[in-house]
Amino acid sequence: MPADVAMPTSPVRADGNGRARRILAWAARIATPILSVMALWYLAIWFSGLPAFVIPLPERVLEVLWVERAFIFEHLLATLQVAAIGFLWANLAGIGLAVLFDLLPFTRHMLMPAAITLRNVPYIALISVLMLAFGDSILSKTTIVALAGFFPVLVNTLAGLRSADEVQLDRMRILNASWWQTFSQVRLPYALPSIVAAQEITGSGSIIVAIAAEWMISSTGLGYVINHAMQNYRGDKVYAVALLATALSFLIYSFVHWLGGRLDWRANGERRG
Amino acid sequence: MMAAPISVRNVSRRFGETWALRPVDLEIAAGEFIALVGPSGCGKTTLLRIVADLQEPSSGEVRIGELSAAEARRQRLLGLVSQRPAVLPWKRAIDDVRFTQKIAGRVGFDPLKVLREFGLEGHESKRPRQLSGGMLQRVNIASAMAHDPAVLLMDEPFAALDEMKREEIGEWFDHELSLRPKTVLFVTHHIDEAVMLADRLLVFSPAPGRVIEVVSVPVPRPRDPSFRQDPRFVAIAGHVRDLLMHRVAA
Repeated sequence: MPADVAMPTSPVRADGNGRARRILAWAARIATPILSVMALWYLAIWFSGLPAFVIPLPERVLEVLWVERAFIFEHLLATLQVAAIGFLWANLAGIGLAVLFDLLPFTRHMLMPAAITLRNVPYIALISVLMLAFGDSILSKTTIVALAGFFPVLVNTLAGLRSADEVQLDRMRILNASWWQTFSQVRLPYALPSIVAAQEITGSGSIIVAIAAEWMISSTGLGYVINHAMQNYRGDKVYAVALLATALSFLIYSFVHWLGGRLDWRANGERRG
Repeated sequence: MMAAPISVRNVSRRFGETWALRPVDLEIAAGEFIALVGPSGCGKTTLLRIVADLQEPSSGEVRIGELSAAEARRQRLLGLVSQRPAVLPWKRAIDDVRFTQKIAGRVGFDPLKVLREFGLEGHESKRPRQLSGGMLQRVNIASAMAHDPAVLLMDEPFAALDEMKREEIGEWFDHELSLRPKTVLFVTHHIDEAVMLADRLLVFSPAPGRVIEVVSVPVPRPRDPSFRQDPRFVAIAGHVRDLLMHRVAA
């Protein structure tokens, strides 16, 4: 009978089973997407009939990644540098502007239309203009990453700063707290989950935009490697870089997501309860 | 800090042609407990916020001791307790009490001792989510009093609690005030609570806000729970209820 089976399990055994089940679930969570992507990949090769330079075998892509690791790694570093500097600029601009708009509301009316316009100009046009202005330099590439990434940070930070509870703000007023005390102790912590959420977009987006900029104007970075490989009909190399870039974006996204969970005060009480 | 007297002189608030609060005059003695009772939107909270210097009056002025409301706030003489606790969600109870002291730049009480006196022994390190509604409101009051203000301004502080908890925390608070006398302005919908706690009740008419009567409760505080059965309690509560019901009907 089901009831008889369920009742007499010892706590130790239950713990052991629980752990094994957790490990299995964890392994399945990693293996399932890999297996499904591989399956789709092979199916595409078999049924599409496309040549190998358009859709190479997965093992060939992994081989290229391994054989050309030194070359790819060098360009990966260049891409990471562009993405990281651009990401920092995006945050500096996004958070800085949000704080400015909050502190001096009239600046919002002055600068927000410009920010929205910049946000909506096609990046390809911006890249072209920046190329003309600064050539193939780290400045032109980081600028485009920053321009593509600052808007989500700005909007989320602004919304976050406004989400501070009115009763908390009254409490700070009644205690005659300074602007800085109210900002650093109440408004910023309230905004933190929103700011971190913006990083999920800007962080992984920085890699993608950096590659796009390199693809168009640069002689370094993963974007350049893709461009170069395309010109030489090296689909396997394009896939290798794409795989690497995807893994990188995914890692950044996961890290930010994890960090967001750690920094989110809304979850703190429950975790410790 | 010594409780301070409050003087409300011809204080009103209007938005265009609409009165949020018609002119009020009131002298409150140091250590006196004043309850503001009346229906929603009658101007009770407006008066409280004007005394707290969180809102400007359209006319008149508030003096707290020798100071204007703004000066009193700047000197951190005021404590505010709202219906929704202002305890920071990411802070432990003890740290929240210390936070008030840090911002106010004044350590009124030993935070640990106060939390224990407030019946929160063993809960000092808990965060708001881990506390019950009653406990959280006690932390809220402890934090509002942590810098030992001269005046406590309370806006329906017990409204979110159930009837039993409400009576219990009211009795406890009455006792606390006897240890640390404060001048209290206490906004409530609850007539019995007001009669139980206050020295005087300001009874408001419905909007446009006007004080229709000031009712005294001539029984010394802290009051025994049995006061609820006292004929004087029943008579005063009945009178206030009549005032409110009749005026509402009119």
